[in-house]
Amino acid sequence: MKKVQVHPERCLGCRQCMFACAAAHSRSQEAVGALAEQPRPRARVHVAAAGRHYLGFPNRCHHCEPAPCLLACLPGAISREPATGTVMIDPDLCINCASCAMACPFGVLRYAADWTAPAAKTVAIKCDNCLDRQLAGRLPACVEACKTGALTFEESDVALERKSREVARSLAVDGERETLLPPTVALLLEMKNGLAASNDAADQ
Amino acid sequence: MDKQAEQRTITRDGQLLLGKMAKEQVETVWDRLAAQQPQCGYCEMGLSCRICAMGPCRIDPFGEGPQKGVCGADADIIVARNLGRMIAGGAAAHSDHGRDLVEVLAAVAAGEAPGYQITDEEKLRRLAAEYGLETDGKDTLVLAGELAAALQEEYGTRKGYLTMTGRAPEKRRQLWQAQGISPRGIDRETSEMMHRTHMGVDNGWQSILLHGLRNALSDGWGGSMIATEVSDILFGTPRPGPNTVNIGVLKEDQVNIIVHGHNPVVSEMLVQACEDPELVALAREKGAAGINLAGLCCTGNELLMRHGIPVAGNHLMTELVIGTGAVEMMIVDYQCIMPALGALAPCYHTRMISTSDKARFPGMVHREFHPDNAAELARELVREAVENFANRGETYIPVQAVPSVGGFSVEAILDALGGTPKPLIDAIVAGKIRGAVGIVGCNNPKIKHDYGHVTLTKKLIEQDYLVVDTGCAAVANAKAGFKVAEAIRYAGPGLREVCGSLGIPPVLHMGSCVDNVRILVLAAALANALQVDISDLPLAGAAPEWYSEKAVSIGAYFVASGVYTVLGPLPPIAGSMNVVKLLTEGLNEVVGACFAVEPDPLKAAELIMGHIEGKRRALGLTARD
Amino acid sequence: MKYVIIGNGIAATCALEAIRRLDSHGRLTLISDEDNLPYSRPLISHLLAGTLPAAKLPLRPPSFYDDLGVETVFGHRVDSLDPTAKTVRTTAGKTFSYDRLLIATGGDPRGLAVPGHRLPGIFFLRRLADVRQLLPLVGEGSEAVVLGGGLVGFKAAEALRCRGLRVTMVIRSPWPLALQVDEFTGRLLLDRLRQHGIRVLLGREVKEFAGRERLAKVVLDDGREISAGLAVIGKGVRPAIDFVPAASIKTNQGILVDECLQTSVADVYAAGDAAEMWDLAYQEPRVNAIWPEAAAQGLTAGRNLAGRRARYPGSLGRNVIRFFTLDLLTIGRTNPPPDGPYRQLTAAAPDGSWYRKLVLHRDRLVGAILVNRIEDGGILQAVIRQQRLLRLPPAKLLDRWSWSELWQL
Repeated sequence: MKKVQVHPERCLGCRQCMFACAAAHSRSQEAVGALAEQPRPRARVHVAAAGRHYLGFPNRCHHCEPAPCLLACLPGAISREPATGTVMIDPDLCINCASCAMACPFGVLRYAADWTAPAAKTVAIKCDNCLDRQLAGRLPACVEACKTGALTFEESDVALERKSREVARSLAVDGERETLLPPTVALLLEMKNGLAASNDAADQ
Repeated sequence: MDKQAEQRTITRDGQLLLGKMAKEQVETVWDRLAAQQPQCGYCEMGLSCRICAMGPCRIDPFGEGPQKGVCGADADIIVARNLGRMIAGGAAAHSDHGRDLVEVLAAVAAGEAPGYQITDEEKLRRLAAEYGLETDGKDTLVLAGELAAALQEEYGTRKGYLTMTGRAPEKRRQLWQAQGISPRGIDRETSEMMHRTHMGVDNGWQSILLHGLRNALSDGWGGSMIATEVSDILFGTPRPGPNTVNIGVLKEDQVNIIVHGHNPVVSEMLVQACEDPELVALAREKGAAGINLAGLCCTGNELLMRHGIPVAGNHLMTELVIGTGAVEMMIVDYQCIMPALGALAPCYHTRMISTSDKARFPGMVHREFHPDNAAELARELVREAVENFANRGETYIPVQAVPSVGGFSVEAILDALGGTPKPLIDAIVAGKIRGAVGIVGCNNPKIKHDYGHVTLTKKLIEQDYLVVDTGCAAVANAKAGFKVAEAIRYAGPGLREVCGSLGIPPVLHMGSCVDNVRILVLAAALANALQVDISDLPLAGAAPEWYSEKAVSIGAYFVASGVYTVLGPLPPIAGSMNVVKLLTEGLNEVVGACFAVEPDPLKAAELIMGHIEGKRRALGLTARD
Repeated sequence: MKYVIIGNGIAATCALEAIRRLDSHGRLTLISDEDNLPYSRPLISHLLAGTLPAAKLPLRPPSFYDDLGVETVFGHRVDSLDPTAKTVRTTAGKTFSYDRLLIATGGDPRGLAVPGHRLPGIFFLRRLADVRQLLPLVGEGSEAVVLGGGLVGFKAAEALRCRGLRVTMVIRSPWPLALQVDEFTGRLLLDRLRQHGIRVLLGREVKEFAGRERLAKVVLDDGREISAGLAVIGKGVRPAIDFVPAASIKTNQGILVDECLQTSVADVYAAGDAAEMWDLAYQEPRVNAIWPEAAAQGLTAGRNLAGRRARYPGSLGRNVIRFFTLDLLTIGRTNPPPDGPYRQLTAAAPDGSWYRKLVLHRDRLVGAILVNRIEDGGILQAVIRQQRLLRLPPAKLLDRWSWSELWQL
């Protein structure tokens, strides 16, 4: 089964996925309309600033099995959609108790009003794998928005195989290269490294 | 002491005020930087393009996503276009600032600028002669009018060259001609850059970048140079004099007025108004001991250079200075004024005034300055500031001001040398001074505040490299105590001896950021004295903490003029290795100088010293390995 | 294979589902003294508050037991267990034999053995039935006393306040939620209680419940009298394990279980509020009578009952409450002894809008308190659970912007 796969080493921190995600989860399902909506749609994927160089990291629900949030949910609002394994939240049942946030080891839950929930009710919000879009034959919004392949929609074993090939290829071309990154990205990281090292040196 | 504050700035006043403002939950530039993380990687690499409405586009540097924008532009073209527009933005800013000064000169000539006058008549006549005007026996104001017209003409000139490029060494001018980068007009090159980078015009990344050099030269040998020269004519050519710097220049018992921005047209009028006996008397009546005017950023540098007016801080101190609670009024003109200031000031009692018809800010009261109303408006504002003294709450001025000496215009340096550059050349030839380095540019919260400037400067003077500085770098070095005669104790033995005998500090404050042209003029004078090109001289430039488009333009005109220049933060060019290689290597073949990027100031010092020793070797002088 | 499950709380429910997934033929018998579908016990206070209809309480559809093929024995309380004969007997005298047994009887609320404690008008807030009896009495304007400043006390006070009652909380400890939070947080909670019109008396205990036919007033140990027609006791729960033969099955506070949830006797398992297992934060066995523990333990126990060896490395106390717009999350050991190898780090917003405390045992995180900004609390819980040495300065965990550095752990 195809799933959204995250490849953090390719994330450039542009947050296009967050924007697309929020828009896809709006009533109007497109950006301009979404911006005019109340409540404002929220992103379900969060690009965190990772590490000392503030590199991007697209953090989204892993749809764990077993899912700690599902086990912890007091009103039984969290369930697993059997066909795709998606962990879903029923906004009608959710009581905004934050038990799922306490359980989630990835910190992906947020609490906000949502157009799918009863009016003015704050509910738990997280990734739903864009099931509606998938049913319509479309990619999950975050994957569609990502231009660097940091988010892909594919079988786990295919993703793994591709990764193995990348590693093998990079070793074959240049055995000493430590990184899979293209030179332009490596340059940016090197400069950011230099900046961080310089600031660290300044701290001493 | 607040650990976070220590990580943000090396300055004691900055650390203490950051700690205070963090306690008060007042947001600063560092907080906003943190909130922006991670910043967009495409944009950091220059790979996003918003120029046209077929876009916006971005190129995937990982090679699997799109490699071309909708129009077909690849990474090289997009990076080059973006950088070109940055240069155009910087050149436009400096040059438009210059134009405003020329307009004041014209108004003075027409008798429509009460309060302003011709202060350096000798420079007026010298410059008029340079522009081919008949000066003998001509009335000063008449001549000022003719010069103003000639300078205004320079912006849109049809003569095909800029007069002041004549100051550059012959070899350099020939090289510009040969490479096709001799600037043909000030506005023209900026306009042409905007045209070339429009969709479907110049899609040669090399030709865009070469035009970028020409655009920058139209700033360095055009707009900025006019700004500096006309400022000198109107307000006086700087002479060395004492002053004080850092937050400690604010006075607990006085009305504190801060001028912030770049253009001396506004701040000079405030200097006069703050000395107005009637207003000083009013201040006393309100319980203050007097009126204290201090500067921030480059307009502060302008006043420091000419009047010894104290400077409270550089770019990253502009928010913190308000946090003292001791500022009755901040008057801004334009450039580098964070729009955050307007929202910050109401946390304290500071009144914020914007003054330029082209620069408005949320949360500031707009009181527009023009040559005809400036003197009167300045007095009005000072009066309001004095009245605001009563609203002052608790104040926090946690440090003592540091003494410094500023005012090293080219003329002042030559005077100090006895009228000719020969003693400096002799010292360089003898190896007592290894070479000279211009340390310039801004602050950038990505680099620990002032760490880049101060560390690089300290390292260089220790090793006998003379440092000249401008802008925020100059304020950083002044705060660090490098700008008093006694600072020669930080210098190596050779530099110590030379500066000691001349009675000058080892770091010479040459002015604001438009005043970087003073460094060009000095470099040209040295080259001419030796009958070589600027690129042959043991010189280098550095912008360790740059942030603004103006700095990109400055860096580009330094390099195009033959000065090797080391940047601290990486400009948004990493997305194209071709562009990176051209700027950091290839330009040597084109203009005899190139860029380097090195965020660590200690490593940057190594690069600079290596470069200068190489130039010394090529000139047949003693060189260190 | 004959499985007998005692109890129908969340531990029992999760166990049933886990067994049925692995064993579609085994015979499942569930014995419970309640008589309803599995419902969400923590939600009964919402029912009391009137913020949730009773229809939202069941966690599974009405056909749940039929779907899983479970024989239900409702309304029966087990009163003896013979691990040798492998049988259990109910108070009604019915005997059931088992091949594998799960004790998921949960806990019974602790009472207050003071004069008058049997007067009508005194309630617990533990079962659906408690709320059903309480509801007719919660008229606006009447007086109520809540005894105990723990989670149940909080929920009772909040719910009764929502119904418009005048509420007094009587708390023995020097601050509310003293088992979970430190003094600083306790003070925040206290302010919040008082802001919402709840009277709070600290350091006090009940001496007597007074009234003729029903409760009329509550007398405190300092002699003070509070007139009230209603009292809710929230003094914690005690594992309901009276029927367990201590001679053969090892017990402490609860039934001691290993990481497979097995008791000291083969084929007898325990899970949830009745079980006492290794606590990852305290590094000793403890009863953690909380919902998510019961669910996870029930799931693991069920797998083991069905013959698959599944491990649950240890339990961890944790709670999250959203109390009148204040969010509080506590994990693990939050009030360690002041001496010894514990370190405590705190950070707070100057305006009190958030607070965070971390407790470290040498270089391992063992506890945390988060007041507001709790979305990332699960990450901390995972860090505590993994029991790994922290490789980044712990102070970073106090800082919101460095959360993502945890990915490097």
